[in-house]
Amino acid sequence: MIWRDGTLLSPGEGSVYGERTRGGLRVWDPRRSKFAALAHLDPGFDLPPGTRVLYLGAANGTTVSHVADYAEVVYAVEFAPRPMQDLLAVARRRKNIIPILADAGRPGRYAPLLEPVDLLFQDVAQPNQAAIAVRNRPFLVPGGRLALMLKVRSIDQRRPQDEVGQEAVGVLEEGGYAVDSVRSLSPYHRDHLAIQGRRVD
Amino acid sequence: MTARYWWGEIDEDGTCRPAPTDEAEALARLGSLESPMDGTVPGTWEAAVACGVVPDRAAYLARLHDLAMRLAADRVAEALRGPDLELLRMVRTLDELDGVINLLTERAVEWYATQDPGFSRKFRAVPARRLVQVLLPRARGPLRSVLLQIEALGAARTDLAREVTRAAFRVMPNSSGLVGGLVAARLMAAAGSLDALARLPASGLQVLGARSALFSHIRTGTPPPKHGLIFQHRRVHNAPPAVRGRVARVLASRLAIAARIDRYRGTPDPAFIEAANARIDGVLA
Repeated sequence: MIWRDGTLLSPGEGSVYGERTRGGLRVWDPRRSKFAALAHLDPGFDLPPGTRVLYLGAANGTTVSHVADYAEVVYAVEFAPRPMQDLLAVARRRKNIIPILADAGRPGRYAPLLEPVDLLFQDVAQPNQAAIAVRNRPFLVPGGRLALMLKVRSIDQRRPQDEVGQEAVGVLEEGGYAVDSVRSLSPYHRDHLAIQGRRVD
Repeated sequence: MTARYWWGEIDEDGTCRPAPTDEAEALARLGSLESPMDGTVPGTWEAAVACGVVPDRAAYLARLHDLAMRLAADRVAEALRGPDLELLRMVRTLDELDGVINLLTERAVEWYATQDPGFSRKFRAVPARRLVQVLLPRARGPLRSVLLQIEALGAARTDLAREVTRAAFRVMPNSSGLVGGLVAARLMAAAGSLDALARLPASGLQVLGARSALFSHIRTGTPPPKHGLIFQHRRVHNAPPAVRGRVARVLASRLAIAARIDRYRGTPDPAFIEAANARIDGVLA
């Protein structure tokens, strides 16, 4: 990934959502994007060229547009029609985004469109986030990476963050993932845990 | 078992059949495709090349991109097409307009009071929406322009309310026949969609829009709310307090049926409306 003076940049046609550019590159703000926040907090996190990404919870395509600047192809799954309208506008200009209007909890519905991916990035506001990651595990190549942005408050309003996180880790390990790290996304995002793991067979 | 992908199908013995090349046919096929999520998932681009569907990876991605764009656009259009969606937006705009008009009127009156120290609203039976007309001839400068804007907003609100009523009688004729278009539309907006409204039980319909009263009842045991939005219907708010709860309950029970007729049949049922209205009026008699 491209860094300049501590700022994460992405090479691509700007400006998609009014983001600043620096030297012709688009500034990728960790406060707006959990993907960028994770890259800021974990020096080992990388998105090498040629990566194939399955992105669950694509929303308006803000982060997706940056991911698509690096990745070879991004399968962007979003359930809500309104944000999908914006995502379609982004995908019209970026041919390596495959927009999919579907429920990430029912992967069978969009499975015919997919191919094996190297990275599963998930950012969905559902109480069963870990189970959704498990259901989408078949799309990962063996050893493929999972980056789950756990929205703690979508799971439980009151229980402590670590407790909810441990429970999610349990579900993931039960479901065929090896969890490598769990870190909080503060100070960039509140009540979010980034869980990184790998598919194990 | 045959494995089905967007570009075609592969039988168990390895023979493959490309999907129809006609776009409309391909989209229709994709719309109904559902994978069992077994060992055949996911497919690979190499298989599509081997099948002769596309020459290389670039072509694979290009065709997939075009198809996925069309499929998603169709699904968005379908989701946004329901006639209740526009009605929903209209109701939300109407409620927003009410809030804005009230706030601005309040501000304008306070402002006017500084220009005319003798002014007081006390002992004047002037409804808020007429107040603007009272102030208009006396106000000067920018205050006058603001008052004119409030008046224009009021006109827009009247138009919109009339249109909401008209649209509600079209989209949900039976519910509107019981409580009038405006209240029916507000109920639909509170539920989120006609579909959601039709799935509500009568008890839910009865207290729709009385969320804080309902939760304070559940949490701390205050008396339960007798009515939510349906209070706005005249037969509820004009009813004597002693029977108001009963009227609300009976009305809600008929509304629950009306909403289901609206959602699943979509045409007015005069016999039902008449019988339901007679039942509701029976409580009041």
